[in-house]
Amino acid sequence: MIRHALLVLAVTIGVPVHADPSQNPVEVLKELINSVDSAYLTQSDQNLMMMEDNPALWTVEEGKALFHAKRGPKNVSLETCDFGMGPGKLEGAYAAMPRYFKDTGKVMDLETRLVHCMTTIQGFPADDPAVKKLHGSDTDHMKLQSYIAAQSNGMPWNPPMDHPLEKAMRDAGEVIFYRRAGSLDMSCQTCHSVTGKRIRASVLPNVYVPQEWSKAISWPAFRVGHQETRSSQHRLRGCYWQMRKAGPVAGSPATIAVLSFWTDMARGQPAILPDMKR
Amino acid sequence: MMLNNMTRFATVLTLSLGAYTTSHAAEPGKPDYTKMSAEALAEHLVLESGSFDLDQPTQEGGTARERMIQDDLQKLCSQTRNKPNAEQAGQIVTAARASIQYPEGGISLGDWQKGGDLAWGGFGYRIGHNPDDHSQRDPSGNCYNCHALSPQRTGGDIGPSLTGYGIIRGDTEATRRFVYDMIYNPHAYFPCTHMPRMGAKGLLTQEAIADIMAYLLDPESPVNK
Repeated sequence: MIRHALLVLAVTIGVPVHADPSQNPVEVLKELINSVDSAYLTQSDQNLMMMEDNPALWTVEEGKALFHAKRGPKNVSLETCDFGMGPGKLEGAYAAMPRYFKDTGKVMDLETRLVHCMTTIQGFPADDPAVKKLHGSDTDHMKLQSYIAAQSNGMPWNPPMDHPLEKAMRDAGEVIFYRRAGSLDMSCQTCHSVTGKRIRASVLPNVYVPQEWSKAISWPAFRVGHQETRSSQHRLRGCYWQMRKAGPVAGSPATIAVLSFWTDMARGQPAILPDMKR
Repeated sequence: MMLNNMTRFATVLTLSLGAYTTSHAAEPGKPDYTKMSAEALAEHLVLESGSFDLDQPTQEGGTARERMIQDDLQKLCSQTRNKPNAEQAGQIVTAARASIQYPEGGISLGDWQKGGDLAWGGFGYRIGHNPDDHSQRDPSGNCYNCHALSPQRTGGDIGPSLTGYGIIRGDTEATRRFVYDMIYNPHAYFPCTHMPRMGAKGLLTQEAIADIMAYLLDPESPVNK
């Protein structure tokens, strides 16, 4: 009860809260629901009830074992992989991605960073299924991403904007977010710039309401309609498909630019990791 | 020129970051992202960086690249974040009106039942990882994503509700013309609207537009019950 009250206080006044992977992400969502009037956040009572037993929590557990296991041609674990906070330091790392990495000279999201570490540290060939299969709860990627991301549960999104490339990618991502094209003249903004509006029966999150947007970008999440744990990159791919635009290449610069912008727009709000979505 | 900029940038970085060894700017053929405007970088990322599968064929006969290149309307609405000034809005309306082609023999209503299927369908023109095969099924109108239609089912509300549209507006010549124009190219009335150009972009046939119009205007349609 006291912890509950403290968390409310921390969220309300914007004090960074510490990651607590043992806390059920549904508690983070409930704090967000209490902080803003949002039809998007409250649209599914069923999901709120089911989140206590979110199947993505199992994906996290499987990822934990995988992360610490010696694997790949070099037979080493991922414990020396640097996700931005130093080798093997995972707490809060995902909430501060995408970010610039000096060793590659690139702004990378979690997925591309994981590919980098699996190929360089563990020595997996780039076309190994462990590296290449990106979608589905049973893939190494979804397990590892879910585990790493869960170490940012409840922490405020805080992608650094210190390096000029981080800022450049974020700003280009904003332009891409608004860039209308394709058969239906759509951009991300078409569906994500008003509050409480629906596509069919689904209430859409508004990029300008950071509490809503925090849940919207909280991936990995278990998608009930797919019965799979899904990633940010998968969400992006689905949106481009629906917009009748070209299919984005996973981990490509344009996708990372969009992820940089969308993470920046949730800045300061607590991440729900793993989340559950319809 | 480019090399000059890149060298200069690398120097600046080396000075500011000290042990800066691997340089993104040193990658051959890759421009320095930090020296580009956000608009130029976005254009580069979308069309020149290999970020999208642009060679994929599309149902209309071109490639995905053509879908990603903006036409004048898309460009202007993106640049103004869908808030064109009065002069721009006038230009958009004029161009949209000029784009509208009317069926020979005037605008007529088709089959409201077929129109209902089209209005409630989301099939057509999707590419990427799972392309729609138009030989299996005709492309639909996607109306329900954004509009409430018949009271029996839940439609979206990004656009206005069209429930009871025929009762409210009647089936006059003027109404038919307006509905036809709105489906064909809605920028003729609402510059930089979110609504797609189902006729001007060739997404729906004349027959499909007539059927969807019947679904909205025919007194027997569930929209008007």
